[in-house]
Amino acid sequence: MNPQDHQLRDITRRHFFNRCGLGVGSLALQQMLAGESQASVKIDPANPMASRRPHHTAKAKRVIYLFMAGGPSQIDLFDHKPLLEKYSGQKPPESLMSGKRFAFLKGNETLLASPRKFGTYGQCGMTLSDLFPHHRKIVDDVCWMKGITTDVFNHGPAKLFMNTGFQAPGRASMGSWVTYGLGSEAQDLPGFVVLQSGPRGPRAGAQLWSSGFLPTSFQGVPLRGSGDPILNLNSPAGMTRERERRFYDVVGALNRARLDVTGDPEILTRLNAYETAYQMQTSAPALMDLSAESKDTLELYGCDPEKPSYARNCLLARRLIEKGVRFVQLYHTNWDSHGGPGENLNSDFEKVCRDVDQASAALVIDLKQRGLLDDTLVIWGGEFGRTPMGEVRATLGRDHHIDAFTMWMAGGGVKNGIYGATDDLGFGPVEGKIHVHDLHATMLHLLGFDHERLNFRVQGLDMRLTGIAGKLVPGIMA
Amino acid sequence: MIRQLSVLLASLAISQAAAPLPDKVRFNAHIRPILSNQCFACHGPDEKHRDADLRLDTREGALADLGGYAAVVPGKPDDSELIKRIISHDPDEVMPPPKSKKPPLGEREVALLRRWIEQGAEYEGHWAFLPLTKATPPDGEENPIDAFIRARLASEGLTPSPEADPATLIRRLSLDLTGLLPAPDEVAAFVKNPDVAALADRLLASPHYGERWGRHWLDQARYADSDGYALDGFRAVWPYRDWVIKAVNDDLPFDQFTIQQLAGDLLPNPTKAQLVATGFHRNTLINLEGGSDPEQFRVEAAMDRVATTGSVWLGLTVGCAQCHTHKFDPISHREYYQLFAFFNHGEDRNNKGATVPVAAGEIFGKAASAVADEFAPTGEIERLRDEWEEAELKRQRAAGDKADAKLLAALLVHSAARSNPDRKFLNEAFEKAEPRARKKKLGNGDPEAKLVEQMIMRDLPKPRETFLFQRGDFTRPDKALGPLQPGVIAAVQAAYPPPQRQFTNRLDLARWLVNPANPLTPRVTMNRVWMRFFGKGLVETEDDFGTQGTAPTHPELLDWLAGEFIRRGWSLKAMHRLIVTSKTYRQSSHARPELAESDPRNQLLARQERLRVESEIVRDAALCASGLLHPEIGGPSVRPPQPDGVYAFTQNAKSWKTSTGPDRYRRGMYATFYRSAAYPLHTTFDAPNFQTTCTRRIRSNTPLQSLTLANDPAFLEMAASLAVRMARGGTTLDERLTLGFHLALCRPPTAQELTALRDYTTAQAADFAKATDGTASARALAPNALTDLPVSEAAALTCAARVLFNTDNFITRE
Repeated sequence: MNPQDHQLRDITRRHFFNRCGLGVGSLALQQMLAGESQASVKIDPANPMASRRPHHTAKAKRVIYLFMAGGPSQIDLFDHKPLLEKYSGQKPPESLMSGKRFAFLKGNETLLASPRKFGTYGQCGMTLSDLFPHHRKIVDDVCWMKGITTDVFNHGPAKLFMNTGFQAPGRASMGSWVTYGLGSEAQDLPGFVVLQSGPRGPRAGAQLWSSGFLPTSFQGVPLRGSGDPILNLNSPAGMTRERERRFYDVVGALNRARLDVTGDPEILTRLNAYETAYQMQTSAPALMDLSAESKDTLELYGCDPEKPSYARNCLLARRLIEKGVRFVQLYHTNWDSHGGPGENLNSDFEKVCRDVDQASAALVIDLKQRGLLDDTLVIWGGEFGRTPMGEVRATLGRDHHIDAFTMWMAGGGVKNGIYGATDDLGFGPVEGKIHVHDLHATMLHLLGFDHERLNFRVQGLDMRLTGIAGKLVPGIMA
Repeated sequence: MIRQLSVLLASLAISQAAAPLPDKVRFNAHIRPILSNQCFACHGPDEKHRDADLRLDTREGALADLGGYAAVVPGKPDDSELIKRIISHDPDEVMPPPKSKKPPLGEREVALLRRWIEQGAEYEGHWAFLPLTKATPPDGEENPIDAFIRARLASEGLTPSPEADPATLIRRLSLDLTGLLPAPDEVAAFVKNPDVAALADRLLASPHYGERWGRHWLDQARYADSDGYALDGFRAVWPYRDWVIKAVNDDLPFDQFTIQQLAGDLLPNPTKAQLVATGFHRNTLINLEGGSDPEQFRVEAAMDRVATTGSVWLGLTVGCAQCHTHKFDPISHREYYQLFAFFNHGEDRNNKGATVPVAAGEIFGKAASAVADEFAPTGEIERLRDEWEEAELKRQRAAGDKADAKLLAALLVHSAARSNPDRKFLNEAFEKAEPRARKKKLGNGDPEAKLVEQMIMRDLPKPRETFLFQRGDFTRPDKALGPLQPGVIAAVQAAYPPPQRQFTNRLDLARWLVNPANPLTPRVTMNRVWMRFFGKGLVETEDDFGTQGTAPTHPELLDWLAGEFIRRGWSLKAMHRLIVTSKTYRQSSHARPELAESDPRNQLLARQERLRVESEIVRDAALCASGLLHPEIGGPSVRPPQPDGVYAFTQNAKSWKTSTGPDRYRRGMYATFYRSAAYPLHTTFDAPNFQTTCTRRIRSNTPLQSLTLANDPAFLEMAASLAVRMARGGTTLDERLTLGFHLALCRPPTAQELTALRDYTTAQAADFAKATDGTASARALAPNALTDLPVSEAAALTCAARVLFNTDNFITRE
């Protein structure tokens, strides 16, 4: 950095911190002075991804979110309902159905027992179906939340709701909020990374990891399973690493020359961005190279290092957080078990369960072995669950269910065990109901944030992940 | 929602943190920000969340007898409960209470409140709702803008910056008015004769002006080429974009521009263009995901129309009143639904709805193709289909034993869940029953179709009843309150002499918005125009003119501009000309150390701003410099090359057949925009996602932007073309590199810059000539057209051109 850079930065800094006579509590005000007049978090304009401290000390420092796109059936995986067997084929009680809205059910559907065998496992006594054998190994290492409830019953809106706290597109996703709040410890990788596996991408696409109204620095960056892991990461053909160093050097020289003339601190940010881009060109491919992973590790995950898969993504997630990436989100499709072609509750459902069972459990085990689980929050779940009633298409399936479904969390400050329970038919929570907003509030709390104070002003409103709602759920925090 | 610190407070804090108290404390300048920020959430307009039955947003409320005492006793601060409470140390007494998580009031705030009460506790209406003041520009400057700006600078002891050099100026005006770079000969001519007025006239007359300013408007119109939500299918709405470009080029007066877009269909005998204009509010999302409730998404779209209208014309956060009365601004829960009523009669119901066939070029005056008559709008077919299915289901159910079992069984399955044979069977049955269904369908699913159906607004013959939705939930209409009639915001209406009283449809609403007595529309519009030319508005919260927004830095100038806008017949071109010819606009944007001390945020405009250009313009600038630009205006969106793998993360891969021929080099604004997976360049450079209205784009500065400019194949192709121009235009390396500076940055290099780029290019050429992989590498980079140069030199020129595209200067309007 040349002397003038320092001088400019000093001028800027002095204004943020001294000239205006502001106390430490006036971070929002300092940010307003910095030009982006809307943020409750103070962001260094020269390095928006610099690591930042949250509101309070917290255990969780980073997040791996395993998003089961389509809505897994809690009835066939976690929430065993013997009574459904007794009443299978009968119409559900009127009292449970009145006032409910469903996506596809027409009102003449009947209760459907799970064809799966269930067992009770671990000290917590969690019931798991035979489709999730590997989960038995982590049964006492996670918090089972059986009373999650959401507001919306179509995939796109419900995924947006789970990710952004709002059912229409346009808001900031959870990963964006977290990187906005905490920055990232990875300076040569994006702070918020998205991975995808399964037969197709999740419905609503990039809207799910959009930074919405937050600066695009905080947008999720998809890491691709094949080809360039990041769009435009590869240098043009013919440009070797050494030639690229020369290129980045002359770009830097010209930018510094312009900085001398114009005195615009934005050029400093640009210089910083170019250096990071250059670093990313080696750090991102290095991350995808699994040759250093042991055979034991690969077997633990059930991962073929050459083939894109959910298992490989789980392993990549661990590697990403080891590099300091703040928020990793995996999407796996397709859990939409209506009973139509490719989405039946038999072979199709068994396949998607096999896709994720081993690697999800392996991730928790691996993180624990490496001492990373304590400060990493792992979240597993879909955008909603499935109905206790069957839905008749080509085969039997289940419709979307929003009143009660199961998710699990592990690591960073989470209290292990079972939280919440549903009624005997699995329609709604009888205890331990957790609304999506409450889940968000609690996740942010585990990361050190008061969800009411992590905000960003848009069109006169201080937007937050939890909208105008959100209550902490003490029962799921250690 | 909980506010932290009002922005207004921030601007006060800059200039007045240590300043003495004003002699006369003014409600709007000093008191309202404190009350709005600290008190209104519980003691404001929203009666549902009002504590202690006390409201402080009206004088009546503040002075009300609370049982032997009052919050405010004019002239007697010590008798005023408000003062007692804000200085109390008792956690049960102190205001704001600890549970509000608001910081306690500062000493200065308390002192201001005391003095205000001492001086009689007078209230003022909120500045933005008051009629435009008749501001007279101070003497001494030819252009009134300069008069206002310089008078303020002088009062603060600041001097303006000198005029930018002519090369910077022509690049600035060209980018601001057309979004294109001037050619070197245009720059040379202007440097010789820097006549800004003549330049402004030429650029304002350019057809590309309509593209540049049309694109700004399209941000507000949340224009995109897809339906949004999960399926996010292609939609052909480019005729609306054509209309916007043409209207801006024609300088259609802003009042007409408004009326045609909000209510063109309600004008007497509307023209096709006026119908297409109503596409503005058809840019809302459509959710075609199986199992969606069409009523839910119809309501969502109507609510978005309310919020967008409020943001775009009024600069108010009307959407806040969807669930409850606005916490800070005088917009009641009921008024929200009266506004909603204007948009609640639309024929479209989460579907295509009413449409009009439009052929490419038609909006620009080319004769419409006669084939249009052969086509049936698919929106109508959808409607017929729904009606038929419903009727048929009833018929078959009523038929009992005589029912067609196959038909009945097929109809009973939800449309999204039907099997393919059932689907085919029903289609045939429908087409047999409905001859209109057999007409040809327009090519809306085909991104290249030249004849399409533009979605337009049309109201149902019999209006829907509008109810207030409790908590904003459409399943909870407040039937007790009864149906609501369309109406407007009383607090804005209050500025009207005499108030317009009759409101029945969108046309009334549109006319109300552009009634010259409505102070918000011209203020908001002029503020956004200002923002485009200076980086931020005179009111920095350009999307919030309510009580939580910032006050204008130059209130007289804003009102003068708003008034002048109306006096000049709502001509945007006239206002643009006025601004770009002002000395204020023409100043240098270079930082000045003394300003960094006294006005670090450049609110007083003692200099211009350096602004990174928008995503579309990043591409356009490279197209200009490379000479590849195909300047055709309007028509269907195109598909320039994009990196592989964009759709790996979407539910369904979009059709992206990369355009060939000239369409490959169209301006960035014509790149097809899928809401769920936008053209990557656009996302990376902060184009909004167009889910909702965007009145101001963020300008971020990220490593992904660097990677795009350095490695995107489209930019490499343009760099190679720039290299060809450089090689053809000069004989020595220095001449070629200098020409590159002229083409990309519109100026000559400094000696230091030229040395840096020459050293790089020479070293790179030597490397290609020497290294073992040198020739192969050079072949990959050298432009095909440059066969007359050694391949190492040709490739090095591409590298040099690539460097120029990657300078901060290239993507910055200085």
